[in-house]
Amino acid sequence: MPPAAASKLDYVPPDGGWGWAVVLGAFISIGFSYAFPKSLTVYFKEIQAYFSVSYSQIAWVSSVMLATMYAAGPIASILVNRYGSRPVVMVGGLMVSAGMILASFGTSIVHLYLCVGVIGGLGLALNLQPSLTIVGSYFLVKRPLANGLAMTGSPVVLFTLAPLNQFLFDSFGWRGSFLILGAIVMNCCVAGALMRPVNKNIKPIPKTAPPNGEVSEEKQDETKSEGCLKRFVDVSLFRHRGFLIYLIGNCVMFFGLFAPVVFLAPYARHQGIDEYSSALLLSIFAVVDMFVRPSTGFLGNTKWIRPKIQYFFSFAVLFNGVCHLLCPLAQGHAGLIVYTVFFGIAFGMLCALLFETLMDLIGAQRFSTAVGLVTIIECGPVLLGPPICGALVDSLGDYKYLFYMCGIILVGCGLFFFIMHYYNYKKLEEEKDKSASVETRTPEEEEVELKPSPESPRFDGFLIPNQILNDR
Amino acid sequence: MKLLWAACALLVCCWRASASTAGFIKSPLSQIKFTNDSTELHCEVIGDPIPEVQWWFVEGDEPNETFTHLFDGARDDRVLINATYVAHATSTLHLTNLTPDDSGTYECRASNDPDRNAMMKTPKIKWIRSQANVIVIEYPTVIASPSEVNNQTTAVLSCNLTDSSRPIKGSFWLLNGKLVKDSDSTASVPYTTLHLEKINYHTAGKYECVFKTDPNVTQTIEVKILPHVSAHKHSEHGNENDKIVLVCDSHGYPFPTDWTWIKKVENDFEPIINGTTAKYEIKSTPNKTSLTISDLSIESDVGDYECSGTNELGTNSDTIHLRVRSRLAALWPFLGIVAEVIILVAIIFIYEKRRKPDEINDDDDSGSAPLKSNSTTNHKDKNVRQRNSN
Repeated sequence: MPPAAASKLDYVPPDGGWGWAVVLGAFISIGFSYAFPKSLTVYFKEIQAYFSVSYSQIAWVSSVMLATMYAAGPIASILVNRYGSRPVVMVGGLMVSAGMILASFGTSIVHLYLCVGVIGGLGLALNLQPSLTIVGSYFLVKRPLANGLAMTGSPVVLFTLAPLNQFLFDSFGWRGSFLILGAIVMNCCVAGALMRPVNKNIKPIPKTAPPNGEVSEEKQDETKSEGCLKRFVDVSLFRHRGFLIYLIGNCVMFFGLFAPVVFLAPYARHQGIDEYSSALLLSIFAVVDMFVRPSTGFLGNTKWIRPKIQYFFSFAVLFNGVCHLLCPLAQGHAGLIVYTVFFGIAFGMLCALLFETLMDLIGAQRFSTAVGLVTIIECGPVLLGPPICGALVDSLGDYKYLFYMCGIILVGCGLFFFIMHYYNYKKLEEEKDKSASVETRTPEEEEVELKPSPESPRFDGFLIPNQILNDR
Repeated sequence: MKLLWAACALLVCCWRASASTAGFIKSPLSQIKFTNDSTELHCEVIGDPIPEVQWWFVEGDEPNETFTHLFDGARDDRVLINATYVAHATSTLHLTNLTPDDSGTYECRASNDPDRNAMMKTPKIKWIRSQANVIVIEYPTVIASPSEVNNQTTAVLSCNLTDSSRPIKGSFWLLNGKLVKDSDSTASVPYTTLHLEKINYHTAGKYECVFKTDPNVTQTIEVKILPHVSAHKHSEHGNENDKIVLVCDSHGYPFPTDWTWIKKVENDFEPIINGTTAKYEIKSTPNKTSLTISDLSIESDVGDYECSGTNELGTNSDTIHLRVRSRLAALWPFLGIVAEVIILVAIIFIYEKRRKPDEINDDDDSGSAPLKSNSTTNHKDKNVRQRNSN
């Protein structure tokens, strides 16, 4: 009996069916997680006047929310591993909702920090992680497309929330708006309800060990890992080559990734463009982003790119960097629109592949823990990036240095990814050849492989489980 | 040997004679001033030891000059001397309320000679001197017409410079201290005009015509209009039991001296006076006024509020319409959306419960429901219980 290949997934992901409903749920959850902190800025001026505080004090609300969302990553990972995605997302939705409702009765700015920032941020963290994890568990073959579609939630929800927030503010004031936003955010619970746990009992054709045996083995693994929480969270992942490449590259990249988005409108105004057209740039950016993300997912799924998807991601990072370096050459309104379109394309590509590449490196099983670690470590660059760039602009007096700096960071990261992934792919090839010849289980092997059958084609380690699909 | 000693002694003497005579690093500057103006003469001297500085007033011509020592408080307290002696000596002579008699030559004298005040020696030998001429002339008359502009829509301002002996290098106009665009002219004529085509709150203010005669001569013409009162927002929303601040601004010249707030409810006019109740608080500055209403109520506080500003020419006002939102206004959409969420979640779970038996193969015994429904027809008890595949 041919030995079972190193398989982290003991089941065949549906790659469709209810999976698309799950993608819709993830779309909503991810959308709220990323767009909600950004969309609250509409209320800041009024709240600032109401509580008589400075702008930086009120901006802390968004920062605390974002910081908590990223820092609570590991907590979300542990909860997802234990309870599955559905309950965690629903609890997360209720938390954000409760936070906003409490905030609407707030009597001081500290009240807002706690309710919107801490409770809200925690709830959003509990939304983000499980959504990514469950998409990974429902899809394998069409995973890049599913990820791309799920990540599209962010620009779509932002695009919808921005004018909606303005309307709510005009009609109800900030307190009433927070109350209604609390209700709107409760739709994350609906998203959570959609995240039915994937049916792990669909087994491949009975060549493998009986399902019960494998299930119990899987359960054993889980109990072992739950018992040794620290070991599970810390050590094993940090010895993973792909994970380290991803972590280091992303941490540096995040310093320069979000700053241009934040400073796009101020830069446009600095160039002498009126406020309405500057806001229009952001809308163009969101719309381009919206269409590029699913397209990138679709492209990432094609047979030419899927095996080398890491290179596609590196290209996206590089493209971002080049865009920023060329930005200062764009003059006038038309030039800025061209830049915004290209930036939208680049940013959309990058975000669509952001978590797909991690899944590709780690595999769906350990993804939840990995993404928890990644978000808590990325917390620093994400929060420090825009203020540092802002300080740079203030001290040097010209926005172009901001774009140069971000461009250089991103180009550097892109090249880093290209080189390191080339090395990584080579190493993986070697390990695969070694394991094929020795025919032993290599736990460090990260490729997801299903039972090889003599007829099914191989694409650099990825198996299209035709046989499985045909049998259903 | 003796020669060597002599040479050494000479060197040491030269080296130790580090005392240097006084020298000016800053001398007082000559100037021309108008009567009632004030002037400053500044003098800085270095030397070792630090020299002493004195101010003297010189009248007459050589050789019959008369010298008058100036001290702090001289000339009926119009003279003020400020001197410092740190590192080097500085001294400033301030002369206020100038009269034509103040014209003359002012001399800054300095000396660090130990014998400087000895009676035997003439001062000229021991003191270094630096002179400056101060000429005080009568302020020339500038005839401004009109002298004041009140409540007009257009005006022509003109200034006529009479009895000035100084050469005129041109003229310009200032509005509230800032140069009026295109008013700078280099024509050396003693008259100038400025046309104001539209007098509104942008163009009203204190106009000054300035003739470049070094020193410059200026005259003021005030252009006054009714105050332009405008509210920040004409329609304001407040929340029940909350507080709200209504703000009105004023532009133009002169700024209102009085601000009043009136509440208009139907045809009733209720003036709001500061300090009568805790509900209303009025804070006013010449160009802004604010009314803070606390504890808003839908019944009594909804309506129009009028702010009026009064200056010497008259009164102007603006109205703000206040709406109060009920506390519960946001509650209905909130409940609506919560209901929608609950219904959707319920639908999803019920749908799942109904589909669940079809999906699970080898889990717990699902009872009488068919495990793998190959047929859509639902034979109730006629159906033999399906075997659980294990």
